Amino acid sequence: MVTGKRNNVVVLSSDGEDSDYSLTSNRSFSKPKSRLLVTRSNPRGAKKARLSGSRPHSRKQSSKFDDIRYYCEDFDEVYNGFKVSAGLQGSNTQGLWVDKYKPRSLEELAVHKKKVEEVKVWFEDRLRSSKEKFSNQVLVITGQAGVGKSATIHTIASHLGARVCEWNTPTPIIWQEHLHNSSTGINYTSKLDEFENFAERIRKYGFIPSSFTGGSKSSVILLIDDLPVMNGKAAFRRLQNCLHLLVQSTRVPTAVLLSDCGKTDSADLTARCFEELQLYLESAGACKVAFNPITHNSIKRTLSRICRQERCNVAADQIDLIANASGGDIRHAITSLQFFCFKPDPMHSLSICDTTTISSREKPDVLRALDDGFSLQFGRDESLSLFHALGKFLHNKRDSENGMELEQAEFIVQERLSRLPLKMHAPEKVLCQAHGQARPIADFLHENVLDFLSEEAIDDAWAVASYLGDADMLLATFRGMLSRYNEAENVLQSAAASVAARGVLFGNSHPLPSRWHSIRRPKLWQIERSLLHNKNEMAKRRFDGHSGINLSDMSIVATEYTPVFKWLGYGTTGGMQQVSMQLDITEDYFDKMKLEDKESETTDDEIEDW
Amino acid sequence: MLWVDKYRPKTLDQVMVHQVIAQNLKKLVTEQDCPHLLFYGPPGSGKKTLIMALLRQMFGPGAEKVKVENKTWKVDAGSRTLDIELTTLSSTNHVELNPSDAGFQDRYIVQEIIKEIAKNRPIDTKGKKGFKVLVLNEVDKLSREAQHSLRRTMEKYSSYCRLILCCNSSSKVTEAIRSRCLNVQINAPTEEEIAKVLEFIGNKEGLQLPSGFAARIAEKSNRSLRRAILSFETCRVQQYPFTSKQVIPPMDWEEYVAEIASDIMKEQSPKRLFQVRGKLYELLVNCIPPEIILKRLLYELLKKLDVELKHEVCHWAAYYEHRMRLGQKAIFHIEAFVAKFMSIYKSFLVATFG
Repeated sequence: MVTGKRNNVVVLSSDGEDSDYSLTSNRSFSKPKSRLLVTRSNPRGAKKARLSGSRPHSRKQSSKFDDIRYYCEDFDEVYNGFKVSAGLQGSNTQGLWVDKYKPRSLEELAVHKKKVEEVKVWFEDRLRSSKEKFSNQVLVITGQAGVGKSATIHTIASHLGARVCEWNTPTPIIWQEHLHNSSTGINYTSKLDEFENFAERIRKYGFIPSSFTGGSKSSVILLIDDLPVMNGKAAFRRLQNCLHLLVQSTRVPTAVLLSDCGKTDSADLTARCFEELQLYLESAGACKVAFNPITHNSIKRTLSRICRQERCNVAADQIDLIANASGGDIRHAITSLQFFCFKPDPMHSLSICDTTTISSREKPDVLRALDDGFSLQFGRDESLSLFHALGKFLHNKRDSENGMELEQAEFIVQERLSRLPLKMHAPEKVLCQAHGQARPIADFLHENVLDFLSEEAIDDAWAVASYLGDADMLLATFRGMLSRYNEAENVLQSAAASVAARGVLFGNSHPLPSRWHSIRRPKLWQIERSLLHNKNEMAKRRFDGHSGINLSDMSIVATEYTPVFKWLGYGTTGGMQQVSMQLDITEDYFDKMKLEDKESETTDDEIEDW
Repeated sequence: MLWVDKYRPKTLDQVMVHQVIAQNLKKLVTEQDCPHLLFYGPPGSGKKTLIMALLRQMFGPGAEKVKVENKTWKVDAGSRTLDIELTTLSSTNHVELNPSDAGFQDRYIVQEIIKEIAKNRPIDTKGKKGFKVLVLNEVDKLSREAQHSLRRTMEKYSSYCRLILCCNSSSKVTEAIRSRCLNVQINAPTEEEIAKVLEFIGNKEGLQLPSGFAARIAEKSNRSLRRAILSFETCRVQQYPFTSKQVIPPMDWEEYVAEIASDIMKEQSPKRLFQVRGKLYELLVNCIPPEIILKRLLYELLKKLDVELKHEVCHWAAYYEHRMRLGQKAIFHIEAFVAKFMSIYKSFLVATFG
C-alpha cells in the first residue's frame, strides 16, 4: 500500500473518529498489542479488505461508511497487528473474485491432486493420532506466489474440521506512524521481536483455549504465512534460531509457507536467504512440500468455472490467453479475468489483436504475441534468471535463413556486417527481464564468451573484446559521481549493458553449435579483491624497512623493488617476509601467487542449450 | 640496507648524475628565495634524490630525521565529514605526502590537509617564522579538481610554505600549476653515467668489476639508475666474483610478459586468448600496473614482429591504452589489444604463407 495513503489514514483516524469505528469492529485500543493471533472464520477477509481499500476503482459503489471502516481496519492493524474479518461478508457480492471463488472443497483446488493429498495426509496423521507419535510437527510449503499454498491449507483445514490459526507479519510501521505512536505511549517493537515472542508462546503453551471465540475443543493448525522481513545477518540468525526451536518443540501441527521467487532471482539476497532458510528448516526436521506453478489446464478449468458462475461470456481463447499470461499464478489469473470481464468491451479484445499483429509482423497469431510478452494489459511480467539471459547471449541462437531480407531492402548492410535474425527477443528486453545490472553482465560475458567462440574465430574474439571494452568505458564515465548524475547514470548503465550484450551477439559471427556448457563466475572479481589486498599490503610494507621506498610510487615498488627483494631474499631486515623467501625464478614466484581460489568454485549453473 | 639507499647522495654536492641541476638548485636555495618547484622526469632519474638533497641544503641534517605518520584526517565536506587516512613523512620543516593515495578523495587532501599543514609553521630559534616545505609526490595522478584546488592553495599560502611537486610527466599537470612553479626537468641518466655510478659503488664496496660489466647492467636498466643499482646488487648476491658472461637477472614480471608474448605469437585462437587472460590476471594481481604491462607487452611483441606490421600494432596499442585510461577494468582493454594483435598477425601469416 502506498505510504502516502497510509499517512492519511493515521491522520484521519487520529482526528477523533477512531473511537466510534473501533466500536463497530468490536475492539478496544486498551488491549496490549501482544495478541497477534486471531482465529478467523474467513481468513481471506482481511486481505480482501486491504486489497479493496487500496484499489478503490474496483468497488465503485461501496458506501462511504465502508471506506472509512476499511481505513479503520488498516489503522487497527497498524496498532495491534490484528487481522479482522468481522462485518465484511456483506460486500462479498461485489468483492474480488479471488475471494468470492475461493476454493471451498478439495475438488475445487486447482493445485495438483497429489500435492493436496500429500498435505492432507500429513495433517490427518498429526491431527488424528497422538501427539507423541510424530517427532516433526512442521510442514514447509514452498512455491511461487499465487499457487494456492494458503488456500490449500485453509481448504484442508476445513475439510478436516480443524481450525486455522494464522500468523501474519504485522504491517510495517512507517516513521510518521512511529512518531504518532510514541506520542500516545505505544512502544515500538520490531517485527522480529514480535515473531520471536509469538513463537516462544506457541512453543511453551500451545494455544490457550481462551484465545478462541469458541469451540476450543477442535483441533488447531498453525499457519505461518509470512515470515518477518530480515535485514542483515544478525536478524537472519535470530530468525533461524527461532524457527529452529519452533520446529524442534512445537506440538501443534504447523505449516510454514515460503513464497520463493522461483530460482529466478538467484542474484537477489532475500531470495537466497529464503532458500537458505528453507534448507535449514528441513535440516531441523521439518517436512517439505514444494508446490509447482499451477498448470495451464487447471487454471483454464477454474477460469471457465468462474465464467460459468458469473455468466460472463468469455471466449475460450481469451481464457487461454489469460491462463497463459498468468504464469501459473492462479490468483493473478482470476483477478485478470475479473478485470477482463469488468467491462466486456468488444473494442478491448480487438485492440489486443491489433497491437500484437503490429508488434510481431512475421507471425501474427495471438499466441506468438503472448510469447513476445507484448500482448495483454494483464500479463504478468515474466522474469528470467541472470544465467538464463547470459545463456541466451552466449549461445547466440539464430534463425537459419534470413527472413527479414525483404523488409530490409532499403537498408542495405554489407555482407560482413549482416547477421541472421536472432532467435530471441531484443537483447534489451532480455536484459530487462533478467533485472541485470550492467556491470555484472559485462563481467560475466567477458569471463565466459571465449568459450563460445569457434576455434578459429580470432577476429570474432577481437570484435567481442572491443565491444566489451566499449561497455566498460561507458560504465566508467561517471564513476564516483553516482548521486549527482543519477539519471545519466541510469541511461549509461542500460546503454552499456546493451552494448555488451549486442556486442557479444554481433561479434560472435560463427557461433558454435549449441551444447552444454557451464557458466563461470567472473574470475575478475576475485582478482580485483586480491589486487586490493596486495596493494594494501604493499602500501603498509613501504614504510616498514627501507627508507628508500618511502612514499615512492606504488608501481615502482611493484615493478622494481619487489622482484629485487625476492632475489635478495630479503625478509630478515625488513617486513618483506611475506613476499617470498625462495630465490627461484619466475615460475615458482607466480605459482605461489597463483590466485588462491578460495571462492572460485564455478557457479555450476549448467546452461542447457536453449 | 639496500645500495640504492646506501649510496644515495646526501647533499647536492655529492650528486653524480645531474650535477649542473644540483648546482643551480644550490644557488637558488642559498639566495634564500625559493619558488615552488616542479620536478618531472622518468622513473629512476633521481628526482627524489635531488629533492632530499635540496631539503638538506635548506634545513640542514635535521631534514633527514623523518618520522612516518599514519593519520586519519577529518575533512568537513559540506554535508558530511569524511575520514581520510593518509600516510605522511615529516620532519620539523617539511612534510611529504602522496595525495593520490586517497583516490578520488584527493581534492580534499589537497584542500584541507595542505591548508592545515601550512598553517602550523615552525618557529626557528630566533623566533622568526620559517616556512615549511610540502613535498607532493605523483602530482600527475591527481584528479583535475584536485589540481585546481592545489592551485588555489598555492596562491593562498605561498607566503607560509613552499611546494615541491614531483611527477613523471608534466603534461598531466595543469598549465596553471606549471606556470606557478619553477619547472625542473630531470632527464634519465645516460648509460655511461649509469655505468660510472655503478663503478663508483663497486669501488666503495671493494668489488672487482670485469670490464664491460657495468655497461651491460646499464644497458639492461632502461636508463633507470635505481633499477641499475638494484640489479647490480642482485648480481652481487647471485654470484661473486663477477664473470663477464654473468647473466643479469631480469625482473620476473618482465620475463613473464615475454612468455605471454611468445604464447601469443605461437597460436592465435580464442582458447589461447583465454590462457593469456589468465596470465595477465596473475600480473595484475601482483600489482603490476596495467599500463606498464601493455607497454612491455608491446615492446616484447615488436621485438619479434615483421616490420610491415609494426606500425599497425603500435597504433592499436596506443588506441587500447587510451581506452584503458578512460575505462574502469584494464583487463578488458588489454585483452582487446591481444585479440586485435592475434587477428592482425594471423591474417598476416595467412597472407604470407598461405
